[in-house]
Amino acid sequence: MKWDVVADNFFYLARGLEVTAGIGLTVMLTGTVLGFVIGFMRISGWWILRTVSLLFVELFRDTPLILQIFFVFFGLPALGIRLNPLLAASLAMTFFAAANAAEIVRGAIQSIPHGQVEAARSLAFTWWQTMSLVILPQALRRMVPPFMGLFTTLIKDTSLAAIIGVFELTRAGREVVERTLASFEIWITVAAIYFLICYPLSMLTQRLEQRLTAEAGH
Amino acid sequence: MAYQFDFTVIVRSLPVLLRGAALTMGLSLLAIALATVLGVIGAAGRLSRWRVARFLASAYVEAFRNTPLLIQIFFLFFGLPGIGIRLSAFTSGLLALCLYTGAYNVEVFRAGIEAVPRGLREAAASLGMTSFQSFRHVILPVAVRISLPALGNNFVALLKNSSLVSTIGVVELTFLANDLNAWTFRSFEIYGATALIYLLLVLLLVFVLRRVEGRLLVYIRRVA
Repeated sequence: MKWDVVADNFFYLARGLEVTAGIGLTVMLTGTVLGFVIGFMRISGWWILRTVSLLFVELFRDTPLILQIFFVFFGLPALGIRLNPLLAASLAMTFFAAANAAEIVRGAIQSIPHGQVEAARSLAFTWWQTMSLVILPQALRRMVPPFMGLFTTLIKDTSLAAIIGVFELTRAGREVVERTLASFEIWITVAAIYFLICYPLSMLTQRLEQRLTAEAGH
Repeated sequence: MAYQFDFTVIVRSLPVLLRGAALTMGLSLLAIALATVLGVIGAAGRLSRWRVARFLASAYVEAFRNTPLLIQIFFLFFGLPGIGIRLSAFTSGLLALCLYTGAYNVEVFRAGIEAVPRGLREAAASLGMTSFQSFRHVILPVAVRISLPALGNNFVALLKNSSLVSTIGVVELTFLANDLNAWTFRSFEIYGATALIYLLLVLLLVFVLRRVEGRLLVYIRRVA
């Protein structure tokens, strides 16, 4: 065992972690925004919007993220769109996150009993008033736990960016292994770093989920 | 010079891609079976009376759910030889897929078992069943029925995640797609076609799971 290798390369791994955090936070933000747009398209009264958003969701939820990354990075140059590895990975992950976020948004909105929409309508609320005053205040609360689950998944999935050469935590770990050959020690350390980020998030998600279920019981 | 699309390359690559699809499906089905067994064992541990079993089961679940699958694959394949354990690429990949999905299955089964009405357990006990008999004949059949939809989601995720084992050289659909890409330089066509094949495999799996779900519900209704 050569655990001093871990101490020696700690700052190198930390630099990777910075990029991991950067990609993670960016994708959470862009994916959530796009996810809301697509989620609302899914329940739109206009069939073209519904069809387009359904295709988007199925395409990005039913294919592996790694292939989406390969397609954006290696495939899109055929259409004249050349992105560096960091941008390609972030763009693919944004689509992936948005497709999953859209389902969360749609599910939460549709989980509010339809009678409430009818009640709001009969009070002459406009669509926007119905949404912002009646549906969303309840639906947004229900979205919180699944969104946090998605964010945890996204942090883990940033590791896939390493495959097309983005320097982030996984890539940093790989480079240290190649330099020092301390594969066991480094991979355990890298796993532990991801764990330290994801575990608190998972715990918080569970806590919020329990609280929401308890409230629903009353 | 603009890129000239050549979609005939997909037709020429189809035999290789279909072989990859078969390998991916075989690997996934094997991993699904093992991860299901692991899920049942883990759930039994999570709900056990023994504190050690409960601790071990939750440590397993939390460790494997809160680290990236890619890191688990790298750890098993590149990391374990550091302490003298050498696994082939296929074994490492399969094991990582099972352990990762198994951890998610534990939570699905645990939730399913906890959702079984208390009265059933009491009824089984009052019939003189041992706790194992009650688990095997009463709790599990009902819990499986409750767990099925969530379990199906985990299986679909596993099928998609199986693409990651290509990174350590296991030959399956993504690995062969990378090979084809290197031979033909037709990235757009090859990766596009490969993604569509995954899409079809996922839809096929979802279809089969729905059928099995329907069958199992009928069966469970008959025995329970």
